[in-house]
Amino acid sequence: MPRTRDGWIATLAYVLLFLIAMPPVTHVLLDRPETWVAGVPLLFAALLLVYSGLVVVLVWALRRGV
Amino acid sequence: MEPWVVATTLIFVYLLATIVLGAVANRRMTVDMEDFLLYGRKAGFVVLYLTVVATFHSAFAFLGSGGFFYTHGIGFWAAGTWTLLVGAITYVLGPRIWAVGKAFGYITPADMLADFYESEAVRVAVAIVSVVFTILYIQVQAQGLGYIINVASGDRISFELGTLILLVVAAAYLMAGGLRAVYWTDVIQGVWMYLAVWIGAMYLAFELFGGPMELWQQVRAQRPDLLSLPGPRGFFTPGMWLGMTITLSFGIVFQPHMMIRYYTAVDARTLKVLGATTPIYLMTLYIPAALVGLGGAVAMPGLDVPDRIFPELLFAHAPPILTGVILAGATAAAMSTLDSILHANMSVLTRDVYQRYVAPDRTQAHYVMVGRTIVLALLVVGYVLSIQTFDFLVVLVTLSGAGALQLMPAVLGVCFPARRCLTRAAILAGLAAGLATLYLTLVAVPHPLGLHGGVWGLLVNGAVTLVVSGFTEPPSVETRARIHGEVERVVYGSS
Repeated sequence: MPRTRDGWIATLAYVLLFLIAMPPVTHVLLDRPETWVAGVPLLFAALLLVYSGLVVVLVWALRRGV
Repeated sequence: MEPWVVATTLIFVYLLATIVLGAVANRRMTVDMEDFLLYGRKAGFVVLYLTVVATFHSAFAFLGSGGFFYTHGIGFWAAGTWTLLVGAITYVLGPRIWAVGKAFGYITPADMLADFYESEAVRVAVAIVSVVFTILYIQVQAQGLGYIINVASGDRISFELGTLILLVVAAAYLMAGGLRAVYWTDVIQGVWMYLAVWIGAMYLAFELFGGPMELWQQVRAQRPDLLSLPGPRGFFTPGMWLGMTITLSFGIVFQPHMMIRYYTAVDARTLKVLGATTPIYLMTLYIPAALVGLGGAVAMPGLDVPDRIFPELLFAHAPPILTGVILAGATAAAMSTLDSILHANMSVLTRDVYQRYVAPDRTQAHYVMVGRTIVLALLVVGYVLSIQTFDFLVVLVTLSGAGALQLMPAVLGVCFPARRCLTRAAILAGLAAGLATLYLTLVAVPHPLGLHGGVWGLLVNGAVTLVVSGFTEPPSVETRARIHGEVERVVYGSS
């Protein structure tokens, strides 16, 4: 379990974002081949955004010394 | 000059470069187990970064992933989840494993687990799991290499001969320079493979479709079945998505060639920086793979071996020099993983078997010599195994990862100080139950209820470990205080 406030923030942010990249969100909400964003399917664009967010969380944790 | 001549020549130039690096590494090496097996525990960020990413991404990144997008569609973009998870695992577990490794002189994963659980049986079990499941991985990489050189030479160099040549080269520079040679070649390989896959994919996207966005539009128009879940063959079910995420993250990190990398870092912070940044490389490598696989399904449908889509497209549409450079990059991807696995198996067999049970009190030079001999033996075993051919490299990778995944409860027990401690009996019982379940759910009845067999194995393993820990003897208070105390000191700054 995290032992600091920053540790908790980083852990919760990571877990919540990660859940967006997992079923059922992927298979129910993001699997819409008819919806396109910025020239690519919604699933691809949304997951790229989530993956980028997860990297940001890790870098933020590093900078905060978590 | 014919395309196959250019491609094959460039691959051999690349192989020559790795041998030269191995020779230079040999001149820098001291006759010492820590230097030969662990780079003297002084790998800095750049070297460690490139060796970790090059080792994680293998022949599979070049061949299997393109083949998977080609066959199963956009669902393979789930790959991002396991690459991101690898970063988080490294961030959290890396400094812990490094701390106890440095403090107590561990060289292999079995060193750490046997010390904490005070059990030689744990050492033997972990060594067996480490070797058995990563030998499957040698097979995967060797087969990838065979494919690449076979395709590059236009069938003039047979799959079998190509596999043998590349195995011999990897073994040669490993024997010459130990882990230093592996790390130095991985630096080249990591850069080369990343540039190669991006340049190749973008070239093909522009050449065949007019650009990546136009490629997506063509896929939408001609193969819409590839743009939805669970894909045309129903592969990417929720259970498979979850299972691959867990198996290809934890399962690969717990393989000895990845865990040993944590021991080699110069300090704990290097591992945290590594964890935070490696997903950038690992995840973005699958973007060009998507372009190759999905674009290939439109441009070159009906391939018998989908794993060959990238080289086949290059030969058909790219200039020979570019094809050669990119296929050398594919060779780099496979070799950077292969050499690391050969090294890890050598380390396990030398340290956990030979030094422990066969000849405990020999000189450092003797063990280095034995390690080199073991590499030769592994080369033969790897070659014999790789003569078998398979269509989908990723299936084999998954099987390998699922085996190492069963070490997860044992490793977590060491890394996280807790009031209730796992016991040696529980670790052994959990491991046995997990491996038995793995066999049932991967071989006998593959992926019951749509959930990956590796996860079934882990669930049973975890449950058995927790239950048995409730009524068996934990490690001694002294050992727990010593090892968990070191974790607390380094990770949390406690005295």
